[in-house]
Amino acid sequence: MRHPNQAILALHAGGDLGPIRSWWMAKHLARCAECRDEVTEYNEMRELLPELAELPEISWNRMAAEIKANVRLGLEAGECVRPVEMPLHRASLKGWRAAVALASVIVMVGGCLVLERPAPQVVHAAETAVESTREGIEWQAGDGHILGLMNGGAQKAVYTLDAQGSMGARYIDPVTGSITVNTVSYAQ
Amino acid sequence: MSDVIEPGLDLQERQNRFVSQHFRRIFVQIYHLVQNVADAQDLTQEAFIKALQHQEQLKDEQKAAHWLSRIATNTAIDFLRRSGRATFCELDAAPESHSESPEAILLRSEHREYLEDGLRLLSARERAALILRDVEGLPAEEVAARLNCSKATVRSHIANGRTKFRRYMERRKR
Repeated sequence: MRHPNQAILALHAGGDLGPIRSWWMAKHLARCAECRDEVTEYNEMRELLPELAELPEISWNRMAAEIKANVRLGLEAGECVRPVEMPLHRASLKGWRAAVALASVIVMVGGCLVLERPAPQVVHAAETAVESTREGIEWQAGDGHILGLMNGGAQKAVYTLDAQGSMGARYIDPVTGSITVNTVSYAQ
Repeated sequence: MSDVIEPGLDLQERQNRFVSQHFRRIFVQIYHLVQNVADAQDLTQEAFIKALQHQEQLKDEQKAAHWLSRIATNTAIDFLRRSGRATFCELDAAPESHSESPEAILLRSEHREYLEDGLRLLSARERAALILRDVEGLPAEEVAARLNCSKATVRSHIANGRTKFRRYMERRKR
């Protein structure tokens, strides 16, 4: 015969088994004296336990006064150490306050995005220079190459510079005797 | 402030009324678990302070009573775990009746001590489950709600508590 374990017997004694287990236990106990004795002992134990519910004589009025005083003290002590909290109704976001808060958040987020956006990389092109020299106009590229437009030894050359980015030289060519005009445009 | 604590009154007065309304029931509940008047009184105060510090959770009277009971049970269980011991009722604080003879008082005290020795062998939760079920007579579902665990777990605590207590009684008989 298979016997139930102690936990099942203990639960059965207190009526704490489900209906199927209880039915099975009742059937088993009907033909098992050993388990019946076990359940009887659990029941005897359970009958003793309610004695623990007995209270000593207590002065309830005095106890009530003491408990109230100590609870008050405890609550006040708790208030002293409680961190300052914003009352919920004041902190709540309603109406225009919500709009201002939302706008502030948008501005802040927008500002962050703008500031965080990588700035276009500026590539400083090597500088190009055009200048007049004694021999003529000299155009110097960023990479160091120089291109010169010579005056052919003209004694008096007039150089002009205009706002469009060009330089001109006007002189009398010593070989041909013609008035010669050279213009170098250096605009990008 | 909760409706349970009569909103028309001054806060302190409302809290006092709340304590007056429930302290006896809570004290008895805790006393059953710790079996000592002084400890039960301290723990009752502690339970009320915890409850009143979070009184916004008190929605209605029935829920408040249930919630307070849970706080009380947990406070007592924490105490039993912390102390790791059962506390004894002193002889002069033992239950007594003026009609009882000194011998009867002594016998009663010894018997109570015998039962409390048995409770010492249980874990805090086994002890709480056993007391709530077999001393206070609460149904297992209610015990589970008080202990904030499943019914299966409570059954396990109850079964362990009864088995250990019975073994203790058998050893003492020998």
